[in-house]
Amino acid sequence: MSTVNTWTSTQHFWLIILGFFVAFVPRFLPLMLFTKRAIPEWFNEWMKYVPVSLFTALVVKDIFINSESYQFMFTKFSEMLAAIIVVFIAYRTRSMALSVVVGLIAVFLLSLVIA
Amino acid sequence: MNKRRPNPKQVPDPNEPLWRSTLRVAMPLNLSYIPIGLACGILLHAAGFNTLLTGLVSLLIFSGGAQFLIATMLTINSPLLSIVLMLFFLELRYALLSSSLSPYLKGQSNRFLFIFAVSLNDENYAINYLKFATDKKWTGKEALMVEHYSLLFWAVSNVIGSLIGSALKIDLGIVNFALTALFIYMIVMQIKNRLTIVICLISGVLAALCMMLTKSTLGLVISTLIASLIGFLLESTLRNRLPDSHWLWRLHSPGSKKSAVENTDN
Repeated sequence: MSTVNTWTSTQHFWLIILGFFVAFVPRFLPLMLFTKRAIPEWFNEWMKYVPVSLFTALVVKDIFINSESYQFMFTKFSEMLAAIIVVFIAYRTRSMALSVVVGLIAVFLLSLVIA
Repeated sequence: MNKRRPNPKQVPDPNEPLWRSTLRVAMPLNLSYIPIGLACGILLHAAGFNTLLTGLVSLLIFSGGAQFLIATMLTINSPLLSIVLMLFFLELRYALLSSSLSPYLKGQSNRFLFIFAVSLNDENYAINYLKFATDKKWTGKEALMVEHYSLLFWAVSNVIGSLIGSALKIDLGIVNFALTALFIYMIVMQIKNRLTIVICLISGVLAALCMMLTKSTLGLVISTLIASLIGFLLESTLRNRLPDSHWLWRLHSPGSKKSAVENTDN
């Protein structure tokens, strides 16, 4: 998180526009199609596993993969412990805000202790 | 906080104006967007986004995961194409959400569907899906109002976060954990049976391997496709051959009996 990005605001603007399209199409096309005809079963069954797979991959990237060298690392102990706390909080409370806020406090306190 | 929860059994006041009754439904979500939106705005500011663009990205993309991802990938100097590709795979899950809402939006005009799709999001989906399934009077119009309330709270929190980020010096490594926590929360919400936990483990191992091999976030895309396909094949094989397998047993968490509206509130 130390390197400062050198993009200009114009480049950020184009990123937002492109991002809008890739965010919009998956939301709109199924609504457009399936309000008129039935959903194929296999599509639903397959898409069901996309979110869990992707979220797990992203969590693994955040905790175990070095963002510059892309090598495996087992050094972020405060994040690992905080992640376990977040799993517990999310499971018990099912509250998004509580999970995020407790996670942030946990990682902050643990990083003071573990360093 | 319990007092703020709308009680689903409460008889609604027939004279209550529509904007108030829908706001009451949306309020728990709106409140939980505030801390996350603030964190997201702070990170976007650190990634170089100015306040105006932070507002724009919140209105146009309106996805916590996507906006955190943009911030993270910008700070590690990922190329534009790589960010957009990652966003595409991250947002692909919305295809599932909007497919499952489509039975309730039959007969709406294309213009309505367009506006509805723009402000659809994981959390307001959860609310609207439950309302559509349980409340016969819940129509597209009410659902769209809930979406717009959550969009308003999200965008304003992001803009305020951006202003906080420009005024204060904040440890970004810690704020960045908000995204990790958000994803962990979403994983926990997705776990319905033991098989899902197996898929998580497979996906985690695959993701680490693919990223080490490709030395880029493209590994995430590859591992997601493989892991979701494995999940799909495993489940259909199990259902056909061993329909009573304990891998398909549903898991109940302490909160799962409550309504989906309450899943997203605090």
